[in-house]
Amino acid sequence: MHTRQQGTVLFTGILVLIGTLVIIQLWLLTAALEALLARSYEVLVPASVASGVLFVFNALLLRYVVTFDDRVRREERIRQR
Amino acid sequence: MSDDSNTARWREDFPVRWDADHYLTRRELAKFLTLGSGILAAATGALAIAGREAPQALYPAVRIPSATQLLPGTSLLFRYPTEQDPCILIKTGSGELRAYSQVCTHLSCAVRYETEDNRIACPCHRGFFDVEDGRPTGGPPTRRLPRVVLRTQADGVYAVGMEA
Repeated sequence: MHTRQQGTVLFTGILVLIGTLVIIQLWLLTAALEALLARSYEVLVPASVASGVLFVFNALLLRYVVTFDDRVRREERIRQR
Repeated sequence: MSDDSNTARWREDFPVRWDADHYLTRRELAKFLTLGSGILAAATGALAIAGREAPQALYPAVRIPSATQLLPGTSLLFRYPTEQDPCILIKTGSGELRAYSQVCTHLSCAVRYETEDNRIACPCHRGFFDVEDGRPTGGPPTRRLPRVVLRTQADGVYAVGMEA
């Protein structure tokens, strides 16, 4: 059984993690843009792949945390009845 | 003027009632961040695609006039890949040809070849580059000069590409 407090802590933690990964993606984008302007093309594909992997990871985290939150709310409703 | 008319004008500027406003929930913020993550990934992918397309489109083979008449220890200027890109062709003391972008990687001043020291120098902030590979050897520049790829044929010397 999960409590709402557990859900809140988990949600906040995952939110911070997603935010951090988005900042890393922002850095990857600026690094890729600089590499493109400097014509260092070999950097672009690894940066793109890394950014894609981070996006997939973010999406999985979002899915997990939303599912967890729904479960907490459902269990809470059952307890209240 | 009555209070009612004042209130009405105030409401035109701020039409949202504070109690009707709603705060961004954690769930919405997480979704928004993930959407942003997707947009950033797509933008980085677009840059990678642009990088794959760029080399073929940007670098034609261009003959460098007078390159074959260049004496050892001297240089000449040319434009490559477009008329807006100044480059420098150097014939080293050993007779090898080297070509680089003439734009300093520090603050974009025009670099020049110093024969007596056999180095490329930027006069603006006294930055120096190695003639052999264009790497910075002194002063403020930290990135090497982009190298022009050369191809020598029977009818002359051609610039055929750029390497960062």
